[in-house]
Amino acid sequence: MYKTGISAFPYFVGIGSLAQIATPGDRVCVLNILGKESRQVTPVSHAFSRGNIVFGTSPGRRGDVLPTAIGDIPVFDSVREGLDAGHSFNTGVVYLPPAGVRDGVAELVRVNPELRKVIIITEKVSVHDSREIRAIGQSNGIDLFGANCLGVADSWNQIRIGGALGGDHPEESLRRGSVAVYSNSGNFTTTIAQYLGMAGWGTTTLISSGKDVYIHFAVREFAHALTNDTRSKAAVLYVEPGGYYEQTVDFTKPVVACVVGRWKARLTRAVGHAGAMAGHGDDAEAKEGWFKEALGVDQIFTPDTPVVSPKGAVVVNIAHIPLALTAVMRQNGIDPDFDPIGDLSLKCWFANNQGLGLPPHLDHQPVEALAPYNDQIAILKRQIGRTMPRQSMKDCSGATRMDAQTQITSVHGYSVLDLAKLPLEANFALPLVHEIADENDRILLDVAVAGEINLVGDPILVAADAARDAGNAPNAVMAASASIVGPKRMERALAATHRLIELFAHSGLTDPRDEAFDHSGVAIDEATKALFMADPDDPSERPSAMIQAVRRRGGRSVFLTLLESWGGRPSRDGVLAAIATSIAWRPLLRKRISRLTAGTLPWYLRLYGVLIGATIPGERHKRGSLWGVSREERFSAWTVTDFAFLAMTGKKPTEAEARPLQVLIGLLISNGPGAISAQGAKGAVSADGPQTPERVQINKAMVGFLTHTGYSHGGNGYEGMDFLLETFKNTGLTDPANPDHGIDLKGLARGFAETYKQDKTRAKELGLDGPRALPGVHHPVFRNKPVNHDPRERFIAAFMAERGDYNIFHQYYLALVQALYECGASPYVFCVNIDAVIASLLLALLWKDFKSGRLNERDLERAAFTIFLYGRMIGAAAEIDDHINRGRNMDTRTPVSKCSFVS
Amino acid sequence: MHITGMLHGAKLLGYVGFPTAEVLGPEADEQQIQALIDRYGSVFVKPVFRGGVGKKGKAGLIGRASDLKTALREKERLFFAEHQHGHAYAKAQGVTFEGAVPADHEVYFSITDSTVFRAPTMTLTHHGGVAIEDVNKAHIAHIPFEALTGLKAFVVANALEDIGAPLEIISPLVQQLPKLWELFHHYGMTTLELNPIRMSPGPNGRLIPIACDFKGGFDQDDPRWQRLDLPDRVFASDVSDFELEINRLRTYQGQSDVYVINPNGTILAPTFGGGANSLVSEVLGQDAIISSDFGGNPPYEKMREVARICYKHWLKQTNVLFIIGGKANNTDIFETCRAMADALRDHFSQHGPTPLYVVIGRGGPNLIRGMGAFAETLDALRLPYRMFGFDSAISEVVNYAQAVERWMKDGGRQEIARMLGIEDGR
Repeated sequence: MYKTGISAFPYFVGIGSLAQIATPGDRVCVLNILGKESRQVTPVSHAFSRGNIVFGTSPGRRGDVLPTAIGDIPVFDSVREGLDAGHSFNTGVVYLPPAGVRDGVAELVRVNPELRKVIIITEKVSVHDSREIRAIGQSNGIDLFGANCLGVADSWNQIRIGGALGGDHPEESLRRGSVAVYSNSGNFTTTIAQYLGMAGWGTTTLISSGKDVYIHFAVREFAHALTNDTRSKAAVLYVEPGGYYEQTVDFTKPVVACVVGRWKARLTRAVGHAGAMAGHGDDAEAKEGWFKEALGVDQIFTPDTPVVSPKGAVVVNIAHIPLALTAVMRQNGIDPDFDPIGDLSLKCWFANNQGLGLPPHLDHQPVEALAPYNDQIAILKRQIGRTMPRQSMKDCSGATRMDAQTQITSVHGYSVLDLAKLPLEANFALPLVHEIADENDRILLDVAVAGEINLVGDPILVAADAARDAGNAPNAVMAASASIVGPKRMERALAATHRLIELFAHSGLTDPRDEAFDHSGVAIDEATKALFMADPDDPSERPSAMIQAVRRRGGRSVFLTLLESWGGRPSRDGVLAAIATSIAWRPLLRKRISRLTAGTLPWYLRLYGVLIGATIPGERHKRGSLWGVSREERFSAWTVTDFAFLAMTGKKPTEAEARPLQVLIGLLISNGPGAISAQGAKGAVSADGPQTPERVQINKAMVGFLTHTGYSHGGNGYEGMDFLLETFKNTGLTDPANPDHGIDLKGLARGFAETYKQDKTRAKELGLDGPRALPGVHHPVFRNKPVNHDPRERFIAAFMAERGDYNIFHQYYLALVQALYECGASPYVFCVNIDAVIASLLLALLWKDFKSGRLNERDLERAAFTIFLYGRMIGAAAEIDDHINRGRNMDTRTPVSKCSFVS
Repeated sequence: MHITGMLHGAKLLGYVGFPTAEVLGPEADEQQIQALIDRYGSVFVKPVFRGGVGKKGKAGLIGRASDLKTALREKERLFFAEHQHGHAYAKAQGVTFEGAVPADHEVYFSITDSTVFRAPTMTLTHHGGVAIEDVNKAHIAHIPFEALTGLKAFVVANALEDIGAPLEIISPLVQQLPKLWELFHHYGMTTLELNPIRMSPGPNGRLIPIACDFKGGFDQDDPRWQRLDLPDRVFASDVSDFELEINRLRTYQGQSDVYVINPNGTILAPTFGGGANSLVSEVLGQDAIISSDFGGNPPYEKMREVARICYKHWLKQTNVLFIIGGKANNTDIFETCRAMADALRDHFSQHGPTPLYVVIGRGGPNLIRGMGAFAETLDALRLPYRMFGFDSAISEVVNYAQAVERWMKDGGRQEIARMLGIEDGR
C-alpha cells in the first residue's frame, strides 16, 4: 500500500536533497489562507519568495483575495475550484484548525495528482489525526512536514514555504551560507540562524520539523538529504526528548547537535511540544548519548570544555552552537561564510533602576541596538512623558488607593501617614509629579504659591468675600474664587509651559537645576520670548520679585535662568511656567507623568495659591503686604505651611505649631476615590470629557471637589473639638502641649465614662436612642479584639513620641477608651480613631488663641473645615489629573439599570 | 492524561466487548467482597491511583487475599498507599478488589504510536505478567500496522506465529485483540496496555483472554476521549488550581501548557514556544515557579488573561518576572508585552504593589513597540527592569535573571519594597 520512494528508507520518502525542500519552482496552495495566522504570515512569505503562492482556500469566501506587497493572492472555496480555475501547485500549506487538518490533507491529496509536499502549520493536531495523515501521505507518495511547525525555508533561493521562519523580516535571519538547520522548535530555527549569522555562518535549508508525536520529515531523512545537498557543508540540529528519531542516524557531514530538555524527565505530562515526553530510553540524556556516539565525542561542548571532533559536537545550550560549529569546521579546514556580524554577549536595550543602586554586575547600561532597531528606539525615546490607556474611571483611581484592611490611603504609592511627616510644600506637587518634592522643588513651590496668594485688586477676592459675607462655609468661599481661575486666565501660562517642554524635550537637559546647561542649541524665537515677557502696560514687580526670591532661597532653575538671560521684565505667567516646568521636568523624562500633566501644572499651582488666599479675609490683602507681612518677606522666607497657618490664625507658626499642622494636612489628603470629595472632582472631569483633555476646566474640577465637601464631609472635624472643648473648658488648661498640666486625665475620663454609661442604661430602659456616638472613639473595621487600635492613630502617636511631642487631648482619648471599658460602657477597649487624632491636634493648635479670645467657637469650626480643605485639595488635584489622563467622557455615569426609584 | 487499573479500565474495555476480570470498587461492602472470593477463590487488592502510575507490583502494592479478613487487612494497608515511581509521587485514593483469574498463559499486549516505525504499533508476547523490559526480546513482537485499515486479525495471527506462541491461545487472541484498536483509535488514546491478559478456560474449555490490568494514555488535544463519559476527577491527578485555571484557556489558537515546577520558586517565567520553554526551564531549574508554553502569537485578550492568572497565583512570591524567548517568528511582541504589562498594572491596582524586578529577553515582530510599552508600564509602577535584544544569548539573559534573583534574595527585594513605600507582604 505504500508508495515506493527513495530506496534507503523502509517507508516512503520522496525528497532526496535539502535543495529540494523549498525550491523556486515550488508552487503553493494555502488552506485557510484568510485565517488569523495565515493572514499575517502568508503575505510576507509570498513577497519574500517572489510570488510562489498560486491560490488559497477559505470555504464560502470565493472571490476574496489576500493582499500582499507584490500582488493579491486569489481565494477559492476549495482546492478543486482553484485547480478548475487553471492554477496548479505541488505544495500544500495547511493553516486549518486542528479538527480540520486531516480532511484538509486528504483534500489536497485527492484532488491534486501533482501534489508532492504538504506542510502543516497547525498546532494541537490530535495524535489520531496525525497517524491517519501519515498513512495518507505514505500511501500517496507525499512528503509531509509538521504539524505544529513553522515550515521550511531556503536561504540560497530566498524561499519560505509555510510558516513564519525569519519573522516579518526573513532577510534578517535567512542569510546565504553553508549550514543546514533542522529544529524541533520553530522559534529556535530562526534564533539559531540568527546566532549563526553573528558568528559568520549563513544557512542553506532550514526545516522546522515540529515536535508532535509524529514527525514526518525526521532527522534520518534530513541526514540523507544533507548528504546529497552540495551547498551544505555542515548542519545544526536542535532536538528535544521523546521519540527515537535521532537514534543510529549516520551523518556524512559535520553536525552540531543541541539537545535540550533533561529537566523534562521530571514532568508527568507534556508542556509545549506534545512529542517532547520521553518514554523508556529516549530522554535528553539518552539522546545526548546517541549524538556523542554518532559524532565521536565523549563530552558535551561548552566554552570551558570545547570538546569537538571533525564529525561534530554536542551542546545543550543554543548559545554555544556558533562557537561549537566554528570549532568543528576549523578541524575540517573550513572558514565561516562571512565575517562575524556581532556576538551573543548581553546587550541591554531598555533599562531603568528606578533610583536603586544596583551592584555593578547587574547594572547593565543600554547600548545602541543593531539596525533597524536602533532607529526605532530613538523614535520611541523622542516620545516624552508617559501615556496611559483610557478606561472608565468610575469609582476607581490610578492616583489614590485606600487599603480596606488598614484604612490607610496612599497617593501615588505614598501612604498618607508618611506624607503626614512631611511639610505641606513637600506634598503639594505629589499629585501632579507623583513624587515628593525635593529641597529645590520646595523652594520653587513656596515661591509659586506665595506669588498667587495675595489677591488684592483681583476680582477673585471680591468673589471670595461676597461668598464669605453671604454666610457660606469655607468650601463655598474657595469654590467662588476657583471659578474665576478659568481657562482664559491660564491660557498664557499653559502655552508657555508647553513651549518649554517642546523646546527642551530633546535638548539633552536631564536636570533642570543644572543652570550651566548649554541651551545655545535650543532655537528660541521672538514669539516664544513674548509668551514669557510682561506686557508693556503691566506694572507688576511681582514676577521679578519671585525670581529674586528663588535666588535668595538658593533655588535653581535653568528655565528661570533662561528668562533672565533675555533681559526685560518677565510676566507672572512666564515665571509660573518656568517654575512648573522645572518641577515637572525630571518626572516627565522618567515617564512617571504624562506630558499633559506637566503641561497643566501651572494651573494647579495657581489654584493652590488662590484657594489658600481666598481663605484669608479680604481686608487682610493689601498692596505689597498680606496680613501685615511684606511681599519680600513672604517670597523670601515663608512656606506654604506658614501661609496655611496664617490663614487660620493671622500669624506665622512656630516650628512647634507648624508640625501638628503638617501632620493634620497630611492625614487629610485623601480617603481614596470613593470619598465624596473625590467623586465630586472626578464627576466634574468626566462631565467635561477627558478624552478631549484640553477642554477640561481644571478649576471647575476643583470646584467639583469643593462642592462635594460640607458640614458632614469635612466640617465634622469640629465635632471632636466640640467634644473636647466641653470636657476641658473648665479645667484651667493653658498649654495642651505641656505634659505637666496637672489635670487628672484618668479621673476626667472615668467621670465621663460613668455618666455615659448611666445615660446609655437609662436610654435603653426607656427604649430611646442611646447617648450620641462619641466622636473619635471606635471604628467599624478596628473592633472586636480585647484592645483595639486604629493603625493610623498608632502611627501618629509613635511619630509624636519620637519627636517628644505631647498632646493632652490625645492622651485624654486614650484614657477615655480604657475608662469606658473598665466601667462596662464598652464590651472591649475601643480604638481611638484617626478623627480623634485630628481633633486633638487641631484643638491643641488653636487652644491658646481660643482661650485668649482671639478665636471663638465658630472660628474653630471654620478652621477645622479649612484645614480639611487644604489637605483634600492635594488629594483632589491627584484625582483630577488622574481622571483627565485615564478617563473616558462621562464615565462616572451610573447606568439606569443600577438606579432605583424610591416612593 | 492517564488511567491505570481496572476500576475504570474494565468499563472502557466493556465498550468494545473485551472480557475483563470482575472488579469491585472502594465502596464494595464485606458481603460483595466475600462473594467475589467465593466465585474466584481469591482476589487481588490493588490501590487506586489517579494518573499514570506504574511499577505497583514491584513496590509491593498489590495484595492477594483468599479470605475476607486478609482482604480487609490489605484494603487498610493499601487504601491510602503512597508510591514514588521515578520523579513522580502518587497517593492512593481507595482500592479495587479483582477476582483472581486462573490461567496457564499470561499475555502482554499494547498499542502505541511508534516513533521508530512512525505508525501505530502492536507489542505482543505470550510471556506477559511481568514488565515488558524483562521479557526476552525473541518472544516479543513489535508490529506496525496501517492506521487507515487498523489492527487486523491477520496481523495478530502472524505476530503470534512469529514469536512461537502456544497454539491454543492464538485463535482466542486473534478473535479478541483487534477489538482493542477500536478503543485505542476511536476514543483519543495514545497508549493502551493490558498486562496481564490471562488466558482463562471458558465453559467449553476454549481459552478466553481476560484483561486483568489496564493502562491507558489519552491525548488531551483529542476530544474523542470525552465520548467515554469518564468522571472529571479521573484526569485530575496532579493538576493544581493554577493549572486548572490556565487549562481553561486552551484553544487551538495558542496552547496554554503549564506545569508547576516549584511552588516555592521565586522566578516567574512565562515562556512562549516549546523551544524557549525547554531551554529556559532547563537553565532556571528549581528557581522557576512554572514551566509554560503559551504558544506562538497568543491574542491580546488571551495573553492578558494568562498573565492575570499567573500574577494572581505567583506574583507575591516572585522576585523576578522573567519574560523570555528567542526571536519570534510570528508572535506580535507588542500585543504580548502590552497584554502582560496591562495585566501587571491591573494586578498592582487590585492587590497593591509588590517588590519585583523585571527581565525581558525577546525578539520578533513589533519588538521595540512591545518593549517600549512594557517599559512605560514599569516606569509607572516604579519597578526596576532590564530588557535585552535578541542578539543577546538567551542563556546569558537567563544567567542575568538568576543573578538578579540572588540579589533580590540578598536584600534587593527589601530595597525595592522600601523604594515603593510598602511592607513586603511575602
